[in-house]
Amino acid sequence: MRLIKEEIRLKGLPICRGIAIGKPFFFHLTENNIPHYAIEKENVEKEVLRYREALAKARDDIICLKKELGKEHVVEGVQILDAELQMMQDPLLTEDIEDEIRSRASNAESIFQETIDRFQKRFEMITDPLFQERFKDIQDIAKRVLSYLLEKSTVSLSDVPPESIVFAKELTTADIAEANHSCVLAFVSHFGGSTSHAAIVAKAKGIPYVTSIEYEPIESFKDSSVILDGRTGEIIVNPDDETLALYQALKEELDAHRITLRKMQNLPPETYDGYKIGLSANVESLAEIEMLHRFGGHGVGLFRSEFAFPSERNFPSEEDQFALYSSVVKQMAGRPIVIRTFDVGGDKFLGNELIAPESNPYLGCRAIRFLLKESGLFKAQLRAILRASVDGNVSIMFPMISSLQELLEVKGVIHQVQEELVKQYDAIPSRIRIGCMIEVPSAALICDLLAKECDFMAIGTNDLIQYALAVDRGNHLLSGLYAPTHPGVIRLIKLIVHEANKHCIPVSVCGEIAADPRFTALLLGLGVHELSIAARYIPEIKNTIRHTSIIYAKKLAEKALLLSTAQEILDLIHEEYRLHFPNDIFYNV
Amino acid sequence: MKLTCRVKVKNALGLHTRPATLIVKILQDCRSNVTFTYKNVTINAKSILSILMLALRKNSTIIIGVEGVDARETMNKLVEGFNSRFGEA
Repeated sequence: MRLIKEEIRLKGLPICRGIAIGKPFFFHLTENNIPHYAIEKENVEKEVLRYREALAKARDDIICLKKELGKEHVVEGVQILDAELQMMQDPLLTEDIEDEIRSRASNAESIFQETIDRFQKRFEMITDPLFQERFKDIQDIAKRVLSYLLEKSTVSLSDVPPESIVFAKELTTADIAEANHSCVLAFVSHFGGSTSHAAIVAKAKGIPYVTSIEYEPIESFKDSSVILDGRTGEIIVNPDDETLALYQALKEELDAHRITLRKMQNLPPETYDGYKIGLSANVESLAEIEMLHRFGGHGVGLFRSEFAFPSERNFPSEEDQFALYSSVVKQMAGRPIVIRTFDVGGDKFLGNELIAPESNPYLGCRAIRFLLKESGLFKAQLRAILRASVDGNVSIMFPMISSLQELLEVKGVIHQVQEELVKQYDAIPSRIRIGCMIEVPSAALICDLLAKECDFMAIGTNDLIQYALAVDRGNHLLSGLYAPTHPGVIRLIKLIVHEANKHCIPVSVCGEIAADPRFTALLLGLGVHELSIAARYIPEIKNTIRHTSIIYAKKLAEKALLLSTAQEILDLIHEEYRLHFPNDIFYNV
Repeated sequence: MKLTCRVKVKNALGLHTRPATLIVKILQDCRSNVTFTYKNVTINAKSILSILMLALRKNSTIIIGVEGVDARETMNKLVEGFNSRFGEA
């Protein structure tokens, strides 16, 4: 191991703001989530012993099993287990692995898994199926041994050491969802953009997150301290005392700031000249409703229905959906809820076989296009929502509308479903509010036409930006081009808001920029009356709204509309924010 | 002492799991180094996985190499095993 005293500074892409000071934890994702970490030289013999014990336990299992099969006279089974016992004594799985643990000073399960992978390749090359089949025995052994090894080590992020800053190649939603917040201070990954679902979950959990960092070069610093600045995307490995003191002070200040913001909870979100703004929450699970109440959200501005069924292999049934929507509706006790129908395809994949791989999923059969094709699934969801709406204030929103034709088709299906339901159930409302998600530029350009046929609109800025700029938001090579302040985007937002206001239908913004206080004044100035954001950001945004006047916001928007590049507009809103909120070290870097 | 001997796999299904298990059991207590060489690949005959990965079918010819204090005795047992198809048909 190298001994370098100086600081190492890496610059990544900031995803979720916040400061963390901790120890690195390298989370290597393999198929089975086999962890991979270095072992201190002096602990290597302990690791060898740990491997031997796991192997011995797995052997005991097989001996027991063999005895039972013997009693039942399952001769073939006994023979197979006999062979497995021999395999477990095989020098390739005993001495060789032990030697490798010593020479590479790595954890047993990673070396073991590598060895098994090597065997697999060798067996796959064998043409005789009889021999090829024998790999199954090895797999069986591998499973047993790994399960004993993993007992004492980490498989998931629910169980990392305290004060960890997790480094990974890529993080899945489940990884982040599973993470124990009291132990995981921050996330760092190589891949993943700011609007990937993993990022959304990190934001909802309030865990600082930086991407576009390759961790291999710093893997040898596993015992060093690491500072992560989620505001700038900077990672400082091995910080000197001065840097460490600086960041510790910053962190304390930020924590104090957050506590003051909590006090805003019961104050209304209105500008200081009395202009009322709707502030609701984006919600993807039942658990987040509790957060909404805690942080003082008015309602659910966007219920992402597809995320409410994270582990479903198939589309959830009408009854399953009804049960879930009903409990959400009940927990909201009469406050408004907007349920968005399944937005599947692209990155929000439901893991369903019905969705065949497409060469260009973002321009493919997703969201409303998919639902209109699979009318059975669509109707089941509409039925579930309509039935649940009996107990509360529910609206339905449709994702990725790109033409008036689609909206009219959707309305036709709703009408059909309503007629069917009225025959079966008593209290089905004869009318439900329906809204369009405006996230495709063509929809933005015809929103005067759409406004006549719906009750409200929501601007999904994440997708609108990606479609307007033709930039894949998950492509880390293009992250610089994904610019929310692009004049084209600002003009589209202005157009949508203008038309919606003209037709007297409410319009909200529910993308990531709605949760960034530096955008708040600009959005209000463009005429937005309602924001929908992750519950955690409500206090912050409310604070910003309460310190902004609508006149100032209008002027700021006018100024922004005169500028010609994304950078100029970004600089403007950052500079204005700095002037108005000079003490916010969270955003003023 | 180093002995080598060329033998043929006579088992109908080749040198599959059961005979491979028997070979390893025969060699469990022997103190010599034992190798099988097949198509220029030499493996440790005390490793059942290595034997299986050779994927020896019926009529494959291998060279057994034995080196050590009990080489003669070990070689005899092995050759006998191969000739008697390790008790199989």
